Amino acid sequence: MSAVLFFQILINGLAIGSVYILIVLGLDIILRGTKILNFAHGQLYMLGAYTVFIFCHVLKLNYILSFIIAGLVLAIIGALCYLSVFSFIQRRFTVSTSFSNRLLLSAMASVGLMMILQQGTLLGFGTSEKGMSSSFLQVIITIGENKISAARLIILLLSLVIGVGLYFLMFKTKLGKVIRAVSYDAEPVSLQGVNTFVIFLSCFSLGSALAGIAGGIIAPVFAITPTMGTQVIFIALLVLIVGGIGSYKGTILGGLLVGIALSFGYQFIGGIAELGLFIFAIILLIFRPGGILGEAED
Amino acid sequence: MEKPKIRLKIGKKKLIALSIIAVVLAVLPWVVESTYLKHLIVMAFVYATLGMTFSMLYSTGLITLGAAAFYALGAYASATIVMKLGLSFWYAFPLVILICGILALAFGAILVRYPGVAFVVITLLFAHVVIDLAGQLEFFGGWGGIIRIPPPTPIGPIVFVEKITFYYLILALFLLIALIFYALYSSRIGRAWRAIKLSPKLAETLGINLYRYRLLAFIVASLAAAAVGSFYAHYFQVITPLSFGGWFSINIQLFSVLGGLEFYILGPALGAVIMTFVPEFLRVTKEVEPIITGILLLVIILFFTGGILGSIKKLPSFSRKSISDRIKKLIKMSGLTKTKY
Repeated sequence: MSAVLFFQILINGLAIGSVYILIVLGLDIILRGTKILNFAHGQLYMLGAYTVFIFCHVLKLNYILSFIIAGLVLAIIGALCYLSVFSFIQRRFTVSTSFSNRLLLSAMASVGLMMILQQGTLLGFGTSEKGMSSSFLQVIITIGENKISAARLIILLLSLVIGVGLYFLMFKTKLGKVIRAVSYDAEPVSLQGVNTFVIFLSCFSLGSALAGIAGGIIAPVFAITPTMGTQVIFIALLVLIVGGIGSYKGTILGGLLVGIALSFGYQFIGGIAELGLFIFAIILLIFRPGGILGEAED
Repeated sequence: MEKPKIRLKIGKKKLIALSIIAVVLAVLPWVVESTYLKHLIVMAFVYATLGMTFSMLYSTGLITLGAAAFYALGAYASATIVMKLGLSFWYAFPLVILICGILALAFGAILVRYPGVAFVVITLLFAHVVIDLAGQLEFFGGWGGIIRIPPPTPIGPIVFVEKITFYYLILALFLLIALIFYALYSSRIGRAWRAIKLSPKLAETLGINLYRYRLLAFIVASLAAAAVGSFYAHYFQVITPLSFGGWFSINIQLFSVLGGLEFYILGPALGAVIMTFVPEFLRVTKEVEPIITGILLLVIILFFTGGILGSIKKLPSFSRKSISDRIKKLIKMSGLTKTKY
């Protein structure tokens, strides 16, 4: 294997991994904040890609602008999902409802939502693949012998910017503090006079916006299909398990690991790569039940 | 001390209902004319069994989103054994049970330790990986699947060509599995499962080995799914990876949820029957069907958590309780009884 090929696969893996990180961070924020496992998250990511496609390709808006719009639109869609479905589910939770029962109810509801969103998109846009061509993304940057497409670099750059922004939101603002407190235990926080409903809603919006942004980042590079959400949710869940639930650092580590492993795996062993990763996740589960950096929940 | 006599606790009403159901099930294939309807009836039994496996895991507090995984494994193992080794279905069937039992033991031994997010996610991924693997490997026919799987060889005068013989085969299989499940639920094991579901911590303090009981449920459920999978391969005679993928695993949980989650045998059976026939009679297109299914799932979960059977059961018991409460209150107010504390 030449160094050039190695470098390219690595960059590819990093770029894909950073998109996974954004998706999984959204999933994790929702899961920890509201105790809801949202399987429809992949569909939100798909909707984000379609939003960018509509604004950038059909309405000919600026890419960065349509990218921000995608985040906002998905935040609204996420809030609507929460208000119409998950808030009812949550209202049914009592203190004695076990975590597995909460998971069951929310998982099944989100599966219903997933079917509706995916099939609705399919009816609206058709099964054909949509592609965007943006001239500035075709640029190939050459460093020495290595050729990197600008699209990959932009993916990395945007993910980094959003990651840093998220860090400031979660750890430096009051909202982030409250979200983290609610993630830990919602009851005492509501006793402190915090309107937990608003926090749940903002958790959901934030998570959905992250999924939409991830979809928006991927839109100019890969083909957009209605089934892209289901494909990505499997990998996202794998990242969640590998990285560890309840650890943002673990999510980042897991995302990069899975992205690079898949990138190399597809190159050298083909489609079996996913199976290898899956077996790795199961073996990891024996030694680290909570993922690489997470703590096992009971 | 005198030994208590063992009596079958079946009331008169239940006996009549059961005999009516038995007669209906025995006569059904002769009454139904259309071959397509017969096919749907056979598939309803298959789906009901799969729903029961979901409910069995649910009864121990585990949620599987990969109920189709062992169904697919059973189907593929059976088809491979029959076609590559040249054995008949009757020899392949126990072999499939053995293979899937070992797989379930190996897989469950790791997985059952972590109920919660990990279990849900890994079962979902497992189903995905099984289907992906079957599609990737040419040995299992690739994405085109395995075609021309031979039907079971005839036993004496019974030839497996017509739907009717398959109907009786699946009926026998379904009743056997339902009976085994019923026996488990009403035994000490079933009580232990219910205790675990109610509160794992409390069950553990009572000396119930969570891990072993959950593993047992996982293995039994997987075996039942593998058994109907094996039947399905030889009944339908064509299996493709996609017939087990997509929304299929999700539909299975819908059977249980629709019928009633707390009714471990009747619930999935009722749900499977409804979900098999209603979309067919509505004549909706394949594109719209998932949307209707999704809305149905949401409505049941949001408004009728108990499912159909749960909602029916709630009605009379509610009125009965309120009446008895009212009578008690009246007696108390009238001072007829002196309450002892």
